[in-house]
Amino acid sequence: MARLSSRGVRLHKKGLELLQPEPRVVKIAKDYFHIHTYGGFTPFFAGLLKKKLMATRCANRACKEKRLFLPPRPHCPDCLLPMKWVAAPLEGTIYTHTTILYPGAPFKLTTPCPLISVELPGVCTRMMSYLKRGTPYIGMKVRAVFNTAKPTHSILDLAFEPVEPA
Amino acid sequence: MIEFGPENLRIPKFARPVYIVAGGLTDFRKRYPEKTSEELVAEAMNMAVLENDLLVGMEELKRRVNFCVYSQFADHFGDQLLAATKMHDALGLDPLGNFEIKTGGATGGSAVLAGAMAVASGYADLVPVIGWERMDEVPTRQGNAYIASAACKNFESELGWMYASYYALMAQRYQHEHKVPRETLARIAVKNHLYACFSPYSQSPMRLTVKEVLSNAIVSDPLSFLECCVMSTGAAVLLLASEEMAHRLTRFPIKLTAICSGTHTLRTADRRNMPVLRLPHEPEELYSQYPHDWPGFSSFLATRMAAYLAFNMAGIRDPLEDLDLLETHDAFTISDIQSYEDLGLRPYGRGREFIESGEAYYEGRLPTNLSGGLIGTMHAVGATGIFQIAEVFWQLQGKWAQFHADPKLWRRFGKKKPRDFRDLQVKNARRGAAVSHAGTGSHVTVAVLEKE
Repeated sequence: MARLSSRGVRLHKKGLELLQPEPRVVKIAKDYFHIHTYGGFTPFFAGLLKKKLMATRCANRACKEKRLFLPPRPHCPDCLLPMKWVAAPLEGTIYTHTTILYPGAPFKLTTPCPLISVELPGVCTRMMSYLKRGTPYIGMKVRAVFNTAKPTHSILDLAFEPVEPA
Repeated sequence: MIEFGPENLRIPKFARPVYIVAGGLTDFRKRYPEKTSEELVAEAMNMAVLENDLLVGMEELKRRVNFCVYSQFADHFGDQLLAATKMHDALGLDPLGNFEIKTGGATGGSAVLAGAMAVASGYADLVPVIGWERMDEVPTRQGNAYIASAACKNFESELGWMYASYYALMAQRYQHEHKVPRETLARIAVKNHLYACFSPYSQSPMRLTVKEVLSNAIVSDPLSFLECCVMSTGAAVLLLASEEMAHRLTRFPIKLTAICSGTHTLRTADRRNMPVLRLPHEPEELYSQYPHDWPGFSSFLATRMAAYLAFNMAGIRDPLEDLDLLETHDAFTISDIQSYEDLGLRPYGRGREFIESGEAYYEGRLPTNLSGGLIGTMHAVGATGIFQIAEVFWQLQGKWAQFHADPKLWRRFGKKKPRDFRDLQVKNARRGAAVSHAGTGSHVTVAVLEKE
């Protein structure tokens, strides 16, 4: 049976702090995490560990969209039927880029960091990623590289590098 | 959605007309510890009811309210769920019905759309639309992370935690396709920071040169800090009314002839090409040979969609001809150029001409963001779309000076009216528009206001 009689309630100051008296401003510290599922995107994130770019294609023959989607989608956005998982090409071109100097607080890459949008053959979308080395330009040929050594299990495990001339 | 079905482009109709009878604002600040969000909202409501020459006072006005729409972008920032309930209570409007609208940066525009739907349908006769955002509880870098939570958390947010970067990607592509001189982009920042100097509400009034903008630190190339909107705390209120109620409340009602919305993918990555959706004044041959992706990364399908519906709904054939002033969602200089094209002020690829020609300036053909916009005056997100419409509303009433030039108003916000103050009232303004915009173009509303 639950014990209902209290021997006195104590107060923990945990995470609360007065910053200024007038107007009264306090600091409220937070420390928590989210349990996030990739759900139907799991084949994509599992693919990164196998150095594969897993995309989806609509399995419905009647659907007009025959190209790959990357980011993938469990359901076709046009006909809403389930899609099939297919490995996408690893080489493409930079569609656009920017070099980020002042990122938001949780950013896990070093700066300056070139962000890129990549066009891959047969893919109808242009995925966002980052260029691991080199200076980006529109039309630059790039190839996917994968962080498999110490994976973060996030989109940061995928990056691109310039395709060196042979 | 790539191919439109016959009903997708149906032009919306209001079952009965919708009017705006009052607007109210607070000033906007980077940090506003002096007041809680409830106080800010009450202040904006007080201005709306007590300073718009209404024919009734607060008590009588509140007795006529039927429904309220609240507008706040991110619960993250205020760290308070059901915050609208606190606002509603603070304004003493319980137990009247309300809801809170959320569509990112376009939350304000969408809230006005929801309020207009309530009035137009006959559900309500008087609807206060109340917006605010409290963005000062966290450091700026965390604020940017919260905003980037409005990117896709699976595939994008980790890549920067910074919306300026997502716009910078579009900027580089736009520059690749259309080659706008950096000076032209900088001129937008110069213009809007300057107009902010004549607004007692503004957070970032600055007298800048193009050179100063161009030599400013880069956030994410090519965008510099001065080309990005401010992060604000503050509130804005509009009172929407049916025709009969409007005339009982004011001698100067302004008609909301249209407010329409469009959407597009949250991830820019997911945009697929399609034929250009043409506005009423754009001939078929204009884009028959268009050499670039559309919408690609250079255009906002959501803005074009909202403009298509709103211009048709309001009977606007050519926006440059038919509008007297415009408020755009100038979150970044580049997105402003993109939006000029989506709004049909110039054909795609030629948006720069709208700035370079001087048309976007006061006394130009279509003065744009005389309020100072998001770059110069405010972006307290939930309040923004409401603030824009309030500014257009006062212009059409011919009351710009009443809400900007009074030294008492400047003193109220602890400011001094500048000596070189300029009157930005647009002479004989009859019709104005305001664009509210979210994400990298995920939601957009276009509102058209008209003086009868």
